[in-house]
Amino acid sequence: MTSAPISAGPDDPSAVETSGRIPLLLLLGSALAWLLVSGLLALIGAIQAHTPEFLARCSVLNYGHVQALQETAFVYGWIANVGLALALWILGRLGGQPLRAGAWVVTGTLVWNFGVALGLVGIAAGDGTALPLLQMPAYVQPILLFAYAAIGVAGVLAWTGRRRQIMFAAQWYAVAALFLFPWMFSVAQVMLLWVPVHGVLQAITQGWFAQSLWTLWMAPLALAGAYYVVPKVTGRVLPGYELASLGFWCLLFIGGWTGGRHLIGGPAPVWISTIAIVTSTILLSHYLIVFINLRGAIGGPGTALKFISFGLAAYVLGGFVDALTSMRVVALTTQFTWFDEAQRQLAVYGGVSMMLFGTLYFALPRLTGRSWASPGLLRGHLALSVTGIALLVVSLGGAGLIQGRELNDAAKSFATIAADTRPWLIAAAGAQAILLLGNLLLAVNFLWTAGCCCCCCRPKAATEAFAS
Amino acid sequence: MSAPEPIDPRRDRAALSDDALLDEHEKLIGVQPDDRAHYKMLPLVMLFVLSGCVLFAATYLNRYSGHFDPSIYDENQLPTKGAPVEVKVDPIALGKRLFNTPGYCVTCHQANGQGVPATYPPLAGSEWVNGPTSRLIRIVLYGLQGSVHVEGRDFNAAVMPVFGQVSGSGFNLSDDKIAAVLTYVRQEWTNKSGPVTAEEVSQIRAAVGQDHKSWTQDQLLQVK
Amino acid sequence: MKNGFLFFLGLFAALGLSWAGIVLGSNAQLGRLTPYYDANEGQAFPAPLPGVAAEGQLVYRDLNCAACHTQQVRRPDFGADQARGWGDRQSVARDYIFQSHVQLGESRIGPDLTNLGGRKPTAPDAGDLENLLYAGQGGMPAYAFLFERRKVLGQVSDQALQLTGRLRPARGYEVVPTRRAQELVAYLLSLNTVYDYPESRPAPAAPPQEGARK
Repeated sequence: MTSAPISAGPDDPSAVETSGRIPLLLLLGSALAWLLVSGLLALIGAIQAHTPEFLARCSVLNYGHVQALQETAFVYGWIANVGLALALWILGRLGGQPLRAGAWVVTGTLVWNFGVALGLVGIAAGDGTALPLLQMPAYVQPILLFAYAAIGVAGVLAWTGRRRQIMFAAQWYAVAALFLFPWMFSVAQVMLLWVPVHGVLQAITQGWFAQSLWTLWMAPLALAGAYYVVPKVTGRVLPGYELASLGFWCLLFIGGWTGGRHLIGGPAPVWISTIAIVTSTILLSHYLIVFINLRGAIGGPGTALKFISFGLAAYVLGGFVDALTSMRVVALTTQFTWFDEAQRQLAVYGGVSMMLFGTLYFALPRLTGRSWASPGLLRGHLALSVTGIALLVVSLGGAGLIQGRELNDAAKSFATIAADTRPWLIAAAGAQAILLLGNLLLAVNFLWTAGCCCCCCRPKAATEAFAS
Repeated sequence: MSAPEPIDPRRDRAALSDDALLDEHEKLIGVQPDDRAHYKMLPLVMLFVLSGCVLFAATYLNRYSGHFDPSIYDENQLPTKGAPVEVKVDPIALGKRLFNTPGYCVTCHQANGQGVPATYPPLAGSEWVNGPTSRLIRIVLYGLQGSVHVEGRDFNAAVMPVFGQVSGSGFNLSDDKIAAVLTYVRQEWTNKSGPVTAEEVSQIRAAVGQDHKSWTQDQLLQVK
Repeated sequence: MKNGFLFFLGLFAALGLSWAGIVLGSNAQLGRLTPYYDANEGQAFPAPLPGVAAEGQLVYRDLNCAACHTQQVRRPDFGADQARGWGDRQSVARDYIFQSHVQLGESRIGPDLTNLGGRKPTAPDAGDLENLLYAGQGGMPAYAFLFERRKVLGQVSDQALQLTGRLRPARGYEVVPTRRAQELVAYLLSLNTVYDYPESRPAPAAPPQEGARK
């Protein structure tokens, strides 16, 4: 590997942008489509939570189905597509090579999205597995593995073919996410669907998979973007960067051990939940290190940093709440309630998704060669997202605390609990509507920007487009 | 930057090239020869925080791990010393269940232990039941044939089947099951006699052998 | 990090270690869990699900009832699970060995269902459950699509729901459960964790108890 420089100026286009425009835009477009689908499903689910009669006659859209569909569309539709696109872009930029195996990426994208769509149809038809984060029917999952491999090939090639020998934190996180997903996904499939383990081991294995998916795939995809965009935009070296590798390995080695998180007090031997509690605490050091590294985003210039700083705050806060709620004395009240859902939304939507939005806002002008089409839509998306997430987390958290307190009081019937949490759940549904609206603005903005780009026959060089 | 440029929200300017990004950060990794004697505060703070987390984690794990035992579900459970306690089989419960199984004792001697007049002798208050266990055990192990005098009446109409693990037995009850049934019968209804152990049954079965025919009343009365 | 190969190894080890520890470790401990034979009762617990109930478990899975209902009872000093009558003892691993699709659930928008068939003083019967599924209650939606409203042919079917009030079908019509509803109800009624295993009540030195009767 030579040490030839990758690019001369900060804003110069990279080879990956010209070669990878079509595959990456396809991935990003699919991601936004799935984001809208999952947002709509989340809205339906949120309405059903406080008004069970809503769509109750429809066997396809009963509450259980909607939860499974929404989760699948969000994780395997939105996060997978956008995360892979941005990971490939970052690896391409830092590797300095054009995107190789672009045709494979396109094929992989189409097959992956077909697989996810088939999975959603399967869940709606009743073949769902009822395993959180692994809801898709068994017949779909090998399709996804193949598609992921097809897309991942480009990432691996970008990394192995990189021009500079050294690796930056963004690359560590991106490669980790790309590499680890197929392993954990296939192991989970085999142990839960093809040759299922017996009894409570299913719950333990599923817990390990869910936590590994979160800590070893979703979080790294977001952090790859954040670690890249923050120094690029601020122009300064990340503070405390010497700790970054400690934070990285801490997340990776410890993340999977938190798998027993939801088995506290449950029918699994106590060492599993104790290890989960203990590792959730040690993981705090990872969150602290990420905050130290990325705090330059707060107050930084530009759209991307606004999203990323919100995402960073939510991610770190989510980590602290996770460690807090894993303590048995707190889990006593919050377990099995909406509070768990609030923590999940804070971490996955508020943390990971917002960081991915930020990276998307930074990446798209470079991919298309044009600025984002409308500043109004952009500001609208930011405002609606921030409001929506804050409202969602607070309302679900409030509902959860009430529900938890009343669950622990044997005198309260479930009808009472439903009535008491209703106002909070109505607020949560409102928050979902706000978030959906915000994402609609993003989708329109994206189509406007990317559509204009596709309409122009010759992609302009970035410096030309940015001449102001 | 010399002149502040208006920030266009539609496009974020990058201030660092990719090469500079890689180079600048790489300098921070690894030992800096100039900094060997100069400890920065931040890694020290992180070290303390990390050590604190690990200390808490280790203490918590030590206290609440349940010794990684698969049968411990309560983290507050104190460790049991030695081998796990075997749950003892309650002979009276077992004996009662056997007694009341259709086809076994209840069919003839009835659930109230009164038997059927002129056909099956009663067990409640019977001198055979409350008398020497050597005779009682032989009756159940090998069966009884011929006339038998119980509580002032003679019973000659039916034959007591063979219950033990001896030749000719259709039931083949193990010694501890026989002991359980006898323990139950000896304390039920108006009976207030002591239990029968499986060892006693085994001894008798070993002493008498496998091939003894059903006992008669006269043979039994000669047994002490 | 310069060495790509070591980096890959590190990634692999990171995933592999947690998998080995949690998944393989618990598999080694619980993978061969057998039913517990009680000599007093003369049978082993738990009992396998009867066929209709096994089908019902698939219906439960299809409808994703685990989105609102849990199937795990916690110990008495950890929440009000037992005070609510959901079970006499906490759930242990042995309770689930014959369930092909264990659905512990992570959310209690509705009550826990572990011991629905063994609730004291009275467990619900099939009619109660069918009425509940048809009508919904409180936060639970009505699962009317699991039932069929049809014309009465001859006399009213003995499977017809006894409905009152505004849910009662018009004269000449009856509401009967579909096969799915019957399977689901059979499954729910088969959920029973009355038997007390040695590990479920770890208090030491209790006198040996007669096994709990069903």
